[in-house]
Amino acid sequence: MALTQVSSSKCCGGYQKVFEHDSTELKCKMKFAIYLPPKAESAKCPVLYWLSGLTCTEQNFITKAGSQQAASEHGIIIVAPDTSPRGCSIEGEDESWDFGTGAGFYVDATQDPWKTNYRMYSYVTEELPRLINSNFPADPEKMSISGHSMGGHGALICALKNPGKYKAVSAFAPICNPIQCAWGQKAFSGYLGPEKSTWEAYDSTVLAASYSGPELDILIDQGRDDQFLSASQLLPDNLIAACSEKKIPVVFRLQQGYDHSYYFIFSFINDHIKHHAKYLNA
Amino acid sequence: MDLYESRGRLQAIAEEMAVIEEEEEEEQADEDAFVMVRKKTSYQPTEPADAFCTDCGAVTHSALQASGEHSQHQVFVLPTATHYMKSELSKCNSLLSERTTQMENFASNLEEIFITVEENFGRQEQNLEQHYNDVLQTLSQRRHERITALQDEKKLKMEALYGELLSCGRALDASKELIEKAQDLNRWQEQRAFLQDIFCPIRIKDFAKEEENLKMPISLDFVIPSTDFSDVKQMMESINVVPVSVLRVKETHCVMQQLLPNVQYEFWVTATNTTGISPASERAVYMTVPSPPVIREQECTSCSDAALIRWDSGNTNPVESYTLELSENSLSKSSVTESIVAIPTCECVAQLQPWKCYVIYVRAVNIGGPSERSQPITISTTGTFFHLLRETAHPSLSVSADGFTMFYLDEDLPLSDIAFSDNTFASCVAVLGDLMPVRGQYYWEVEVDEQTEYRVGVAYEDTQRSSYLGANTTSWCMRHILTPSRHKYEFLHNGWSPDVRITVQPLRIGIFLDYEHGTISFYNTHLQQHLYTFTCCFHHFVLPCFALDKPGALSLRNGLAPPCYVTQTARPHH
Repeated sequence: MALTQVSSSKCCGGYQKVFEHDSTELKCKMKFAIYLPPKAESAKCPVLYWLSGLTCTEQNFITKAGSQQAASEHGIIIVAPDTSPRGCSIEGEDESWDFGTGAGFYVDATQDPWKTNYRMYSYVTEELPRLINSNFPADPEKMSISGHSMGGHGALICALKNPGKYKAVSAFAPICNPIQCAWGQKAFSGYLGPEKSTWEAYDSTVLAASYSGPELDILIDQGRDDQFLSASQLLPDNLIAACSEKKIPVVFRLQQGYDHSYYFIFSFINDHIKHHAKYLNA
Repeated sequence: MDLYESRGRLQAIAEEMAVIEEEEEEEQADEDAFVMVRKKTSYQPTEPADAFCTDCGAVTHSALQASGEHSQHQVFVLPTATHYMKSELSKCNSLLSERTTQMENFASNLEEIFITVEENFGRQEQNLEQHYNDVLQTLSQRRHERITALQDEKKLKMEALYGELLSCGRALDASKELIEKAQDLNRWQEQRAFLQDIFCPIRIKDFAKEEENLKMPISLDFVIPSTDFSDVKQMMESINVVPVSVLRVKETHCVMQQLLPNVQYEFWVTATNTTGISPASERAVYMTVPSPPVIREQECTSCSDAALIRWDSGNTNPVESYTLELSENSLSKSSVTESIVAIPTCECVAQLQPWKCYVIYVRAVNIGGPSERSQPITISTTGTFFHLLRETAHPSLSVSADGFTMFYLDEDLPLSDIAFSDNTFASCVAVLGDLMPVRGQYYWEVEVDEQTEYRVGVAYEDTQRSSYLGANTTSWCMRHILTPSRHKYEFLHNGWSPDVRITVQPLRIGIFLDYEHGTISFYNTHLQQHLYTFTCCFHHFVLPCFALDKPGALSLRNGLAPPCYVTQTARPHH
């Protein structure tokens, strides 16, 4: 698969690059950002996949989150894909900011007109890792996943649906129970159709209740002053209850004063990378 | 020059300076008569005086220098002279201040001597008092013995005499009777009856012939028992020395056994022949080595690269210093690999290598030399090892015999058992642990039950004993609260905790203290899950702290190396 380098900047002793490629899952050109730490010049490094939230592209995380310093120190590659297929000319894809373009919800759509291109779940879990492993000094056994908001939801479902695939998982202000919130209901009915049972396969709270597999260790940070928390879009209590019931280890931190923005991510990204490094570098 | 000479010279110079200055200023005829006198006796030139003779200390004229009384003297012009005298003055000044310092030192030395003399006096006084008390006691005892003996003897004699007196009395009565009878018989007229009864007189005659045994049954003198005063005599002789033991030998050498440790002895020899005892030889002074110290195992603590050893002196009198010997306990023979000498107090921090087993001894040292080795203590540098400071425990918190489990019992303690001190926790049922005062990394674990409501963390040694752990700025702790619906976890410092939810209850909590990064971290060890990290700035050393908020139990697990998931993330590698 041909990769085209779009940009490259030295950062914290390593390189922050952006690549473009033709995606087979999404049937369009896709960009992704990749940070290569100094260690990557001489050895294979573990990979942390970062999934961004609604309206984001591959740029938001690499310019606003300040992750490169910790990635450099811990010797971790960070891959940040885009949040949906682009330029597919699907009718209605740009109508809302929380559905369609920039709002892939990390599912494999089953409904028209989305099912051809909107296969972000397979892209993130299958195509992208293959691409990374064959083109970069990545250790194929050491992968972990994280994300923010819709990306947090994406990270959690990828980990819960693929026991043992990801060595660590964490999230910032994730959408924990999409079938119960407005965002999720809108997206799932659009991508997956009216049958609610099909939605459950992409809901972390539901998945947690039936999870069986290697032990997870989930770190979640949530801003207390997050407007979407108070708007009942995120519903972390439901996930915590399910995980407590199922004895899935979670440390959930409600951070006083913080909102939903990248300033919040910037403030705690080091803790998350450290959390991932513990398992990736073990 | 000594102090007084310096002072005199200084005074002289000062006066001379005054003279010069006056001369330099203006002619004041009614000023210093001394000066006037000088002026009068010297040659009176027409110009004013412009020179000064340092030998006479007199103002003079430069013109006169070549001749006259100052011809051999050192004469300067006034400005030069002024400089010269001023430098002399400052020389004297510095000399005086030197002398002053010396005097001060001397004075403080005297003070020390004062104290020493006082102490020596005290010791001598005590010694004498004791000695004389002993002597008096012995004498009193002897007196008592003698008197008792005399009394007993007197009693015996009196009894014997009394007995004799009685028998005498009886003999007297019998004799009297016989005499009466004889007299009666003598008066009888009838010859027949007289002869008939003469047997009786014959009997009397026989009787009268008997000589009374009138020997004194007892001697009038009292026997004086010989009292043995030799020991008293010896005591009096030895009154000026510490109790002495005497050995008689025929050889020219002698082995003194059974000496006491850490004591100064004086030895001297006398020779004895038939004529008598020689004067004593010169005295040889010898100090016995001290007794070995006793290591206090319960107060020793260690970590992966050091150990703090504490011990008791083992001697009632002070020793000069202590030596700590450590050797690696590898294979069979353990020879001393390192010694730390001249330790002034009864504790020492020894730097060690990690992952080794050491055997440590302590010796006490005085001028006589080092003592025997103490009983050893074994230290394994596998990780942090410490005991609980029982004296800080709240009265309701009891510690198991092995010192690693603590209980808050669901009983009302009787008031008599509730003994608070300045050092015990008064409200929070808490206790502190004894960590090494070294800024390194420490790791320990705590085991709890599902129901245990606890606080575990670290606190400064002087954390308020009246306050709760985590409620002040001097302590940091993780707290577990059990509500009817769920488990609640707090990470408390200064009364504030972040809002953290934990889905799987930790039953074994790993606590990692890192002075370099200023962090204290908590882990669920069963899951290797990081729970929370405080980032602080430790101004002083902190100690582990433990508390139980409700009746329950908590166990401390010690001597563990921090797991890699704990240390790895503390130091990211590149």
